[in-house]
Amino acid sequence: MSAVPVPYFLVLAAVLFLIGAGGFLLRRNLLVLLMSIELMLNAVNLTLVAFNRLHPQSHGGQIFAFFVVAVAAAEAAVGLAIVLSFFRLRNTVRADEANTLKN
Amino acid sequence: MLSTIKQQFPATNFALLALILLMPALGALINGLFGKRMGKDAVRLTALASIGGSFLASLVTFIVVASEPGSRVAWTAWRWFSVTGRMRQDVGIDLAFSADGLSATMLLIVTGVGFLIHLYSTGYMAKDKGFHRFFAYLNLFIFAMLTLVLGDNMAVMFIGWEGVGLASYLLIGFWYEDEKKAAAGKKAFIVNRIGDFGLIMAMVLLVWYSGSLRFEDMQQRSSGLLTQVTLWPVTDLHQTIMPHWLASALTPASPWRVSAATLIGIFLFLGCAGKSAQIPLYVWLPDAMAGPTPVSALIHAATMVTAGVYLVARTSFVFVLSPAALTIVQTTGALTALFAASIAFAQTDLKKVLAYSTVSQLGFMFIGVGSGAFGAGMFHVITHAFFKGCLFLCAGSVIHAMHHRIHDDVASQDMRNMGGLRRYLPLTHATFLLSCIAIAGIPPLAGFWSKDEILFRAFASHIAPASAAVWVPPAWWGKMIFFVGLTAAVCTAFYMFRAYFLTFWGEFRGWRVVANFRPKKHGGHGHGAGALAGPPPHESPGVMTVPLVILAGLAVVGGFLYAEPIHVAPLAHVLEPVFQKASQSVIVPEAAHGLVWPLMGAGVLAGVVGVAAAYYVYQVRGGAPARAFATSTGWFYRLVRDKWRIDELYQHTIVAATHAVAETAAAFDRWVIDGIIARLTAGTVALGGALLRAAHTGRVQVYAASMVAGVVGVGWFLVRPHADALVDTSGLRSSGRVSLTAASGHGYSYRWRTQDDDESVAYGNDKSYAVDLELCEKRTVFLGVKNAFNQAAERKYDLCRDANVPRAPGSQEAAACCSLDDAGRETAREWVRSKLKELDDTQKRLEETKRAPEGLLKSLEQRGIKVEQLPGPPPAPQPPSQGPGGRP
Repeated sequence: MSAVPVPYFLVLAAVLFLIGAGGFLLRRNLLVLLMSIELMLNAVNLTLVAFNRLHPQSHGGQIFAFFVVAVAAAEAAVGLAIVLSFFRLRNTVRADEANTLKN
Repeated sequence: MLSTIKQQFPATNFALLALILLMPALGALINGLFGKRMGKDAVRLTALASIGGSFLASLVTFIVVASEPGSRVAWTAWRWFSVTGRMRQDVGIDLAFSADGLSATMLLIVTGVGFLIHLYSTGYMAKDKGFHRFFAYLNLFIFAMLTLVLGDNMAVMFIGWEGVGLASYLLIGFWYEDEKKAAAGKKAFIVNRIGDFGLIMAMVLLVWYSGSLRFEDMQQRSSGLLTQVTLWPVTDLHQTIMPHWLASALTPASPWRVSAATLIGIFLFLGCAGKSAQIPLYVWLPDAMAGPTPVSALIHAATMVTAGVYLVARTSFVFVLSPAALTIVQTTGALTALFAASIAFAQTDLKKVLAYSTVSQLGFMFIGVGSGAFGAGMFHVITHAFFKGCLFLCAGSVIHAMHHRIHDDVASQDMRNMGGLRRYLPLTHATFLLSCIAIAGIPPLAGFWSKDEILFRAFASHIAPASAAVWVPPAWWGKMIFFVGLTAAVCTAFYMFRAYFLTFWGEFRGWRVVANFRPKKHGGHGHGAGALAGPPPHESPGVMTVPLVILAGLAVVGGFLYAEPIHVAPLAHVLEPVFQKASQSVIVPEAAHGLVWPLMGAGVLAGVVGVAAAYYVYQVRGGAPARAFATSTGWFYRLVRDKWRIDELYQHTIVAATHAVAETAAAFDRWVIDGIIARLTAGTVALGGALLRAAHTGRVQVYAASMVAGVVGVGWFLVRPHADALVDTSGLRSSGRVSLTAASGHGYSYRWRTQDDDESVAYGNDKSYAVDLELCEKRTVFLGVKNAFNQAAERKYDLCRDANVPRAPGSQEAAACCSLDDAGRETAREWVRSKLKELDDTQKRLEETKRAPEGLLKSLEQRGIKVEQLPGPPPAPQPPSQGPGGRP
């Protein structure tokens, strides 16, 4: 039984990351932006775990992925809270409406 | 007892000095910080206890120092800082204090008179709301004055010098709500700064030419002060940017030179003239009378203003080296004595009369020290502290009494409103009279002995110059000073008794001045209130009269501390050893000793004439001759009354010029700095801000996009190979070797080749490469780099070893061969090779010549001839030997 080669995972991760980055750059909905960030973080997680297969003795990559998951959870909590209060303030979730500090 | 003290406090670690200094400092601190909450009684106790304790410690110090003539005690706190001297040596400056005969005597005056005046002030200032502030300042003053007197070097003395200036400023402007009084404080401070400039210059020169700031060391090394200093031109003016004709015009035929001692002496005296109110810097002292009267007595009569005299005496070793500087001191003193006395004639304010009298008496002190009579000058400081301190305190007592009646600062000090006060203030009258007799120079009171000694020495003594080249004043100069001094002495007696008669004799004229009288406040007095519309003046309380009596007593008997003509001079044994070295240059001819009594007669006559004239004019004739004089010479009288309008002169020249400079600077600031430069800067910043603001859209996606662009840029840089190398040419000149080291990178392999190799050279892992160049050889090295992505880059490095060669064969003109073209460089290489070969041949011949004598020796030996010694080369000249002070 042969395992899936590592480069396959890397290509998948790169594709996921590009989707996330593209979504972050092109969309205006704050919730979508948060989801795009999440997508990029998970793409990175995937590369971390994939590279860890090349070093069977070490588990650094996997452990690091857990840390990323934890940080991502925290970030999502804070991000959603900001989005919520922003919605209450401006009655919208469009990122380009967040211009209170301008002028 | 004395030996116990000496055991406890060895002369080199005399910690009692610290105690003397610290007590007033502590008093100032406590009164200044907590005085308001402590209440007046505690403030009074703190102030008196600190000065009293300091006085007792000073007394012990004086006894220790006086017990052994010429002895000296010292105490060092710590090394303060060090500067580099003329010989590149370290000149250490310690925070050190010492007391010799001179310092110890001053200690007693400062703390003794200081204590009496503190005591007096507790009565005089009793009703003032700034009571605690007053005593904090007064204690601060005592601390600073003690630092000045005890300083072991000029830097420490300067702390005290500035400290007394500060205290003086604070106390003149003590009633700062009154703008005129605050202005008087500022005037004193600023005029003193001019003098301090001189003092700082003198300190710098002293460090430079004597290599120390310690008075003791400077005295020992004073010979260095005879160095000639070039004043002008300071540099070769033709080497500067100024045009040639200007440089020629400004360069004198022979440079202007003076001895360092003269320069230092003049700068020192500038400082002294500021602090001791001499022409041209005397103008602040009369205005300083704006302060409370005890301040005028302590600071502006008895102690601080004599600091200049103290400094001249302290640095007497500098002055005796320069008769010119001493003549300046003496002449300025004489002129000031006469000039200030002339102003005192026409003053109506009692304190102003005393102020000009102080200026005049300080002039006498400078005549003394300027004539080389340092002991006599200092003695006049002491007697003056007694009688002038007493006079000022009497004036304070009079003003205190008058103020009850006339609630006006100016009117209560005006002698025209006084008169007949001897009935109301009997003690004040008696002490004032005694002090007046003392200052007038009537024997045997204190002022007579000191003034007489000064005038005698001005007449008789002269300075022996250190060398024939030193300028000395003509012999008649001292006689002229004597007559000027004698005239000033007549004036002194006259204006002092004028003040005495106007204040204490005749009818009380204050009844007429009742404009500001408010009977409700003083209803309790009620002596004959109905008829006179106000209470009569009355004697001051005991705390004020006791100091008067003590000071008057000292003014009566103080003369016998140093009565040279009758050989009763206990103080001389303390003071004279301090000036022993300096006094060796001061010569009093034997023949002059016969003149002691005739000159003394002249001095007494001067005093008697002055007193008699004042009695006739103001008592017998009731001031009629003075009024007649004033009306007959109206403009002259007004000129004298307006103090010769010197203040106005300064106002329109120096102050106006300063203002003009300030106005110009302000205009420059307004138009150039603010108008052009500031606006330009602001405009640039605003423009940059506007540009950057355009990029700052506030959209998070734009920021993220720029981040992505940055990441892509960095990634692209990392993907591209870079053929950079570090070129080490340090060996190029000597051996012709150049080594190159390539910069490392991910997965890099390197290929080195020169212009002669083609591109088939393989890539390897060698990061460094070296080439050896001949003179005038040029070579190009190519570094190729291939990275992990198999991308390649190449860069070329041009290397050339330079030499100076003829531009063309046979040409005289030199050229750097690297700058020539290929053909030229090839010719140059040929030329270099031939030259190298020539050098090589010469070297070989030299070697052979060296070996020749050995061959000769051998062949001689073979023929049986013995050679003992071959004549060697002549001995090489020895390098000049280093002196003991030189480098090892």
